[in-house]
Amino acid sequence: MMLYLTTFPYQDSSCIMGKREVQIHFLTLPVLFFSVMEERKSTEETPRNNALAQRRSKSYRQSMRSCVEATHLTYTSGLLTALRIPRSRKAPKSCDITKQVDPDQVALLVKKEWQLSYVTPLYQFRHTQLKSYSKQLSAFMVSEKQQGLAIEVGQELGFKVNFSVVLGLAETDKDAETVFIQILSKQVFSAKDAAPKVVWSGWLTCVNGDLDYLRSLPLEFVSLPLFCTRGPESLTVLVKTWFEKTFDCCFGPLGINSTNLQWLASLWTGCHPTINIQYLKLVWTLPTLPPMDVTYTVHPQDAWELWDSMRQVDTTEDSISIDEVTGFIKGLQSHFFRHFRIDLSAGSLMQISTALGSSHHSGKIKIASPNYIPTILQLLTECALLKMPI
Amino acid sequence: MAKAANLSRSDLDSSSGSDLSVSSRTSNRSLRVVEKERRRNEAGDPFLLSLKYFSKVEAGTPRIGNDVLERHLVQVERVGLSRGLPPEAISVMLDYAMSLRTGGKICVRVLKFLIPATVVPQEAVVQAVAWLCVSKIAISTQVLFLRWLLTVFDMIDSKDNLRAIYGFIFHFVTEENLSPYICHLLYLLTRRESVRPFRVRKLLDLQTKMGRQPFLLHLLSLYKVFCPELVTLALPSQMRSGFKNHNSMWKAALSAVQKRNNSQVSSDISLTLGVKHKTNSRKRKYHHLEVPSLSSSVQRNSPFSSSRKVFPLEQLHTFPQLLDNLHRIELPSQMGSLLGSNLSLCYLDYVQDDSAFLRLNFWLGHALHEEFLFCSSRDGGSGSSSEALHLLNRLLSTQHFLQEGFSSTEGFLYKFLNVWDGSLLRPQILGLLSDIPVVPSSCINQLLFEPLVQLFFTSTLFFKCSVIDCLNNMLLKWLTWHSVYALEDGLDISLHSHTPMNMSLSGFMDSVVELVRFVGRLAAVGLQLEGCHSLLLSFILDFYETVCDMFLKYGLPLVVMPPVGVFYPALFATDPVSVDRLGYIMYRYKNNLISAKCQQKETKAFHISRQTYREFNHYLSFMVSCLWNSKMFLPGMAIEVDQELLSLSKVAKPWTSFDLIHHPAFLGYALDFHHKVSENFYWDWYLEFLFSQGFQGLQQFVQSSITRRSVAGTNDQGQGDRQPTNS
Repeated sequence: MMLYLTTFPYQDSSCIMGKREVQIHFLTLPVLFFSVMEERKSTEETPRNNALAQRRSKSYRQSMRSCVEATHLTYTSGLLTALRIPRSRKAPKSCDITKQVDPDQVALLVKKEWQLSYVTPLYQFRHTQLKSYSKQLSAFMVSEKQQGLAIEVGQELGFKVNFSVVLGLAETDKDAETVFIQILSKQVFSAKDAAPKVVWSGWLTCVNGDLDYLRSLPLEFVSLPLFCTRGPESLTVLVKTWFEKTFDCCFGPLGINSTNLQWLASLWTGCHPTINIQYLKLVWTLPTLPPMDVTYTVHPQDAWELWDSMRQVDTTEDSISIDEVTGFIKGLQSHFFRHFRIDLSAGSLMQISTALGSSHHSGKIKIASPNYIPTILQLLTECALLKMPI
Repeated sequence: MAKAANLSRSDLDSSSGSDLSVSSRTSNRSLRVVEKERRRNEAGDPFLLSLKYFSKVEAGTPRIGNDVLERHLVQVERVGLSRGLPPEAISVMLDYAMSLRTGGKICVRVLKFLIPATVVPQEAVVQAVAWLCVSKIAISTQVLFLRWLLTVFDMIDSKDNLRAIYGFIFHFVTEENLSPYICHLLYLLTRRESVRPFRVRKLLDLQTKMGRQPFLLHLLSLYKVFCPELVTLALPSQMRSGFKNHNSMWKAALSAVQKRNNSQVSSDISLTLGVKHKTNSRKRKYHHLEVPSLSSSVQRNSPFSSSRKVFPLEQLHTFPQLLDNLHRIELPSQMGSLLGSNLSLCYLDYVQDDSAFLRLNFWLGHALHEEFLFCSSRDGGSGSSSEALHLLNRLLSTQHFLQEGFSSTEGFLYKFLNVWDGSLLRPQILGLLSDIPVVPSSCINQLLFEPLVQLFFTSTLFFKCSVIDCLNNMLLKWLTWHSVYALEDGLDISLHSHTPMNMSLSGFMDSVVELVRFVGRLAAVGLQLEGCHSLLLSFILDFYETVCDMFLKYGLPLVVMPPVGVFYPALFATDPVSVDRLGYIMYRYKNNLISAKCQQKETKAFHISRQTYREFNHYLSFMVSCLWNSKMFLPGMAIEVDQELLSLSKVAKPWTSFDLIHHPAFLGYALDFHHKVSENFYWDWYLEFLFSQGFQGLQQFVQSSITRRSVAGTNDQGQGDRQPTNS
C-alpha cells in the first residue's frame, strides 16, 4: 500500500490547517482519490453549530415527514392531493434530448450553474402572452432602477427582456412548457452596432410534476415550480418581484437536501456504463470543532461496481429504490471509515459532482450532459413541489 | 341638490324670489332676520337685480368710473362672502367673469368671492373651461380659476360632462404654469376609460422635459392603477403623498359659509388625495413577512374586461363606495394585500371566489412556511420575530373578521405543531389553532392530538391552561358553526364554503366526541401531574361548561360526561369556586339530559346512550350523598375505603368529612356561619348563608337535584346539632 501526501494551497484565508490530498492504492479497489480539508471555524460560516439552527433544521425534516403524512388534508380547491417523497425512481435512460428540444435552447441550459428557487403556481400566466411579458418586465426593471420616473410599457430601454418557450421538456400533458427568460443589456461604452450582452438568465420549468397535484389546481393557475437563475442577485430580485406582482406567486429558496444529493450521486453513477462520469466527488461537512470538510473522490469504475453490487437482482431493471441508494452511500462511508476512522454519516453531505454535473446543498445545480436533463429536472421538480405551502 | 335644481331661471327673473336663497333651509334663524329678508324681498331683492345686471351686461362696458357696475359687484360680493352664492348665481357670475366682458381685473375679483352656498352647477364649469380655451385670459387668472375649481370640486353637482371634456382639459397639461393644477384636476376626473396610450406618452414626454415633478408622478401613478399594462412606475418611498392644497384663498370664507348654512354638501374641504405608498423600510431578508401593497392587476386577459368599467380595490376607501361598486370591483394583483384591509375582506367574503382564496392561501402559506418551517430568514438572526408577531396578529384579526380559518393556516399548524417548542409566539399560535375548522375524526388524532399531547405533558402549568383554553375555544367555534350551518333536518351540513369538504352530522359528532374525550384525558392526567392545581381545574371546568350545554345551547344531540379524573378532583377541590362550578355543570347536564330524553321520545331522531345516563346518575348520587347526606366512604359508594384503614386515620365520623360543612372548601364558611349564629347550627340557615355568598351553581344544583321530603325529613336528620368538629 502506498500513500502520497501533498499539501494544497488554502482556499479560505482563515484556514490554518492545510488541506491534504491523500492518494491511496488498494489491491481491491484500484484507485481512490480523496482529500480531507480541515477548516477553522469562522462564526458566520457555521450556523449549524448554533443551537437554534440545529433545532430549526431538525424541525424542517420533521415537518416534511408530517407533510407527507398529513397528505389527505392538504387540499387545493376541491381535490385532495398527496405529495409523497418517492421511495423509488426510474433508472435514468440516456436519451437524445436534442431530438425533442431545439439544440440551441438545450445549449442555453447545460454546462452552467443555476441557483434554484421554488415558486408557487402562477395565476393567469399565459404562454401566449410572452411578448407582452417581455415588454412589461423590461419597463418594470427600468422603473425600479430609476425610482420615481414613470416608464411607458413597450418603449425601447436600456434593458431588453426575452421570454421564450422551451418546447419539449415537458413529459406529461399536465406539465406546463418550460419558459426561458433572458435579460440583455447594452453596454454603455460599447459600439453602436454591438450586440447587447446577456446579463441575466433564468427559466421556469416543470418536468413530470405530481399529476394529482397539478390536476387539483384550477385552470387559472400554471404550475412551474422550479425556477433556475443565473446572474446578479439584484436582477434576480427584480425579476422575482415582477413575477410576484404580476402572477401573484411567491418565491423561496430551494436547497437540495442530503437525501436528494444521494439520489443524484446514485443516478449519475448509474449512468457510468453509457457515459463516462470520470469521477464521483462527494463533499461532507462534519460537525467537529472546527468543522471539517471531507472531499471524497471515487474512481468512476469503483463507484459503479459498488453501485452495481447494491442493485437488487429481483427489482426490475428501470427502478431504483431508496434502499439501494442508502446502501450505496453507506458502502462509500464504511469504506472511508475503515481507513480513516471517520464516520461520514455523522456529517452532512454538502456537494456531489461528476462529469455529468454537480449539485450543492445550498441549491446550486449544474447539468453538464444534455442526455440526462429530464431525470435531474424531475427530481428537482419534486423537491420544489414538496415546498408548496398548499 | 334636488332643491337647488328647483331654482329655475324663471324664479330668478320674476324676482318673486320668495325663497330664493338657501337661507330658507336654515331652520334655526332668528325671526328678526326672516322679517328683514321678507321686507327686502318685497322691495325687489337688490341681489337678484345685480345678478340680472351681470347676466345682461354687454362686452366692452367700461369698468373705470362705472358706478352701476361697482354697486352691483359689491352687492353680489357681500352676499357671496357672507351667505354664499346659490347655484344660478354661480353660473351667471362665472360666465360673466370668464367671458372678460369687463376686463381681467374684475374677473379676478369675481373669482375671489365665488363661494358656493350649496352646489356648483357643472354646466357653469364646463362653460368656464370653454372660455379658458379661448385663451384670452391672463395666465395668473387661469391659475386662479383652476385653484377655485379644485377648491369647489367636491361641490360640483355632477361630473359627467366635465369628464366628457377630459381631452380638452388634458390639452392644458403642456402649459407650464397650469400643469400642476391641471394634473390635480385630471387626477380627480380620471376614470379607467380616460387612460389612453397617447396621453401616457404625452405625460412621459412632459416628464422628460420637466423632470420628476410630484404632480406628474401622482397622475401617472393613478394611470398605473387603471392601466398597469401601459405605464409602470416605482414611487420613491420618501415622496410626499398627495397634491398640494390650493384652497388658501377661499378656505376661511367657504368654511364660514358652510358653517352658517349647515351644509352637508362637502365634507372634505382639503381635497387631499393621498397616493398611498407604504414605506419600504424593511429589509429584504424578511420579504416573505411583508404584506404586499394593494395594486391593480396587469392581467386583463378577457377582451371584454378592458372595456368594462372596473373599480380597482386601490380606490376603495369607504363602505358606501364598496356597496356602489360591488358589481365591478377588481381584485388586486396580489391577494396577500387584502390581509391589511377589512373593506377588501368584506368584498372577498362576498364574492367567494375560489381562485382568489387559493391565491391568498398560497401567499399566506408561503409566508408561514418560510418563516416557521423552512426558516430561510433565521440564519442566526432573531430580528424577524417582531415582524412575525405582526403578521400573526394581523392574520388572527383577519380570521376573526372572516370568522373562519384559512386552509393554509390549518395545514401549516399541523406541521408546525410537531416542531413547536410551545413557547414561540404562544398566544398567537394557540389563537390560530383554535380557529381551525372541524377536523375529521379519522385523522384528528394524528394531526392534532399526538403533537399536542407531547407539548402538553412536557410544558408548564400555564401552557397546560392555555392549551385547554384553546381547545375550549375550538370546541366553541365548532359548535357555533354547527348551530349556524346545520340544515334543518340536521342530517347533512356543508362545511364552510371554502373547503370542499362536506361533513355529515355523524362525522361532525364523531369529531366533537373525539375532541371532548381527548380533553378529558388531558385534563385527568394534567390534574394529576399538577397536583389538582386550581388554575388548571378552572380552565378544565370552563371546558366542561361548554360541553354540558351542547344539546340545549347548540342543538347537538350529544352529551359527554367528564371522566372520573376530572369529576372527583373538582368535587374534592379545596377551593369552593370549583365545587360551585361543578354544581352548576351537573345542573346543566341534568337539564340537557332531561330535555334530550323528552325530545328523543318524541322524534326518535337521535339516541343518547344509556351509559351516559348511568354515568350521570352515578355522579349525581355520589355528589348528593357526599355533600348532602354525609355518606362518604360507606359500602356501595364509588369510593370505598377499608373500614380498618379509616379507623387508623383516627378521624371521627369520617363519612361526614366531605359534606357541605366539613368539605375543605366550605369549612371556612361553616366556621364563619357558626360564629355568626353561635346558638343553633340550622342546616337550612347554613344553606341560605352559603347561597348568599354567591354560590349560585351550588344553589341551582341543590334546587334541581335534591327533593326535600320534609323539613325534618331523612335528608335533614340530625342536622340540627351539626357542629364543626374542630370548632
